[in-house]
Amino acid sequence: MHGEFKVPKGKLVVVDLEIDGDALRDVRLTGDFFLYPEEALEPLTKALEGAPAGEEEATYEQLIAEAVPEGAELLGFSPQAIAVAVVRAQRV
Amino acid sequence: MRDEMERRWKAQDWQLIAPTPRAPAENLALDEVLTVRVGSGERKPTLRFWGWSRQAVILGRFQSARNEINADVAAEHDIDVVRRISGGGAMFVEPDGAITYSIYVPDDFVQGMSFADSYEMFDHWVIDALGELGVNAWYQPLNDITSDAGKIGGAAQARRGGAVLHHTTMAYQMTTSLLGQVLRVGEEKLSDKGIRSAERRVGPLRNQTALERDDIIYHLIGHFRSRFGLADDSLTDDELAEMQRLVESQFSTREWTYFLP
Repeated sequence: MHGEFKVPKGKLVVVDLEIDGDALRDVRLTGDFFLYPEEALEPLTKALEGAPAGEEEATYEQLIAEAVPEGAELLGFSPQAIAVAVVRAQRV
Repeated sequence: MRDEMERRWKAQDWQLIAPTPRAPAENLALDEVLTVRVGSGERKPTLRFWGWSRQAVILGRFQSARNEINADVAAEHDIDVVRRISGGGAMFVEPDGAITYSIYVPDDFVQGMSFADSYEMFDHWVIDALGELGVNAWYQPLNDITSDAGKIGGAAQARRGGAVLHHTTMAYQMTTSLLGQVLRVGEEKLSDKGIRSAERRVGPLRNQTALERDDIIYHLIGHFRSRFGLADDSLTDDELAEMQRLVESQFSTREWTYFLP
């Protein structure tokens, strides 16, 4: 399943995932955003792995925001933008 | 702020690496090698112009290969597919189609600046130099250089061990229609641009200046040199050997290029 969100005046956020029972699996976060340091991609992705499916945007936004490592910087996107793509990916 | 930035530019002992045609993976490996060496103090702050020996698609650090590239078109037209260390979007480059440069500088150069502000600061001199050629260009947040005649180019940054890499690619000429075939541009990406066409409006520098590619490059070098100082330099044997090792261990491997499939 695949969801995309282009941040207005920002970057494209793409989420691919599977739904296994009631949990998100095989989550992949990609896009043309900037993220410093680059290694921060892994905790952001892991925050969504196993997260409950069918939740609202705010739930995913909080999960992602809590997973942003100290000192990491997201440029052209945000936890909220990722959450939008996660919700869109689950639309049938 | 402008005076402070001018002071920071002039305070560096800049070195120039002039363009030499290289394979795409070599250019990407050099960015890693030189950024780390500037961070450690082994190399002075450096401006490097790229040469391209082959056409290539260069993916951004965080992009999905499948999402961005038509692999069958790339294979059919013998286009290298590589991934760079900086974020941002995929670009398609032909050897004489683009002007690319990298700036490597210790990170105290951007001290006190936001990431967003630093993008503007790194390309400001180029916008001035293009103005001298009659091109009315400006910085468009977050990471674009645009002009009266359309988008000229884009920049990206990476940070490594005490240094910043800022690299910028500008369109010089579009000789084929391969760009629109090899890069995939989805509807969502264009959703806030007010256009529905995959062919975004681009203003290649050849159309805007009628100059040869090398003439533009040497104008940019001359502008930088007279404004901030710039000594001629070359890559050391040690740097080239490390570049070659990184090409083999990382930048030419499928594990790296397709780590986000």
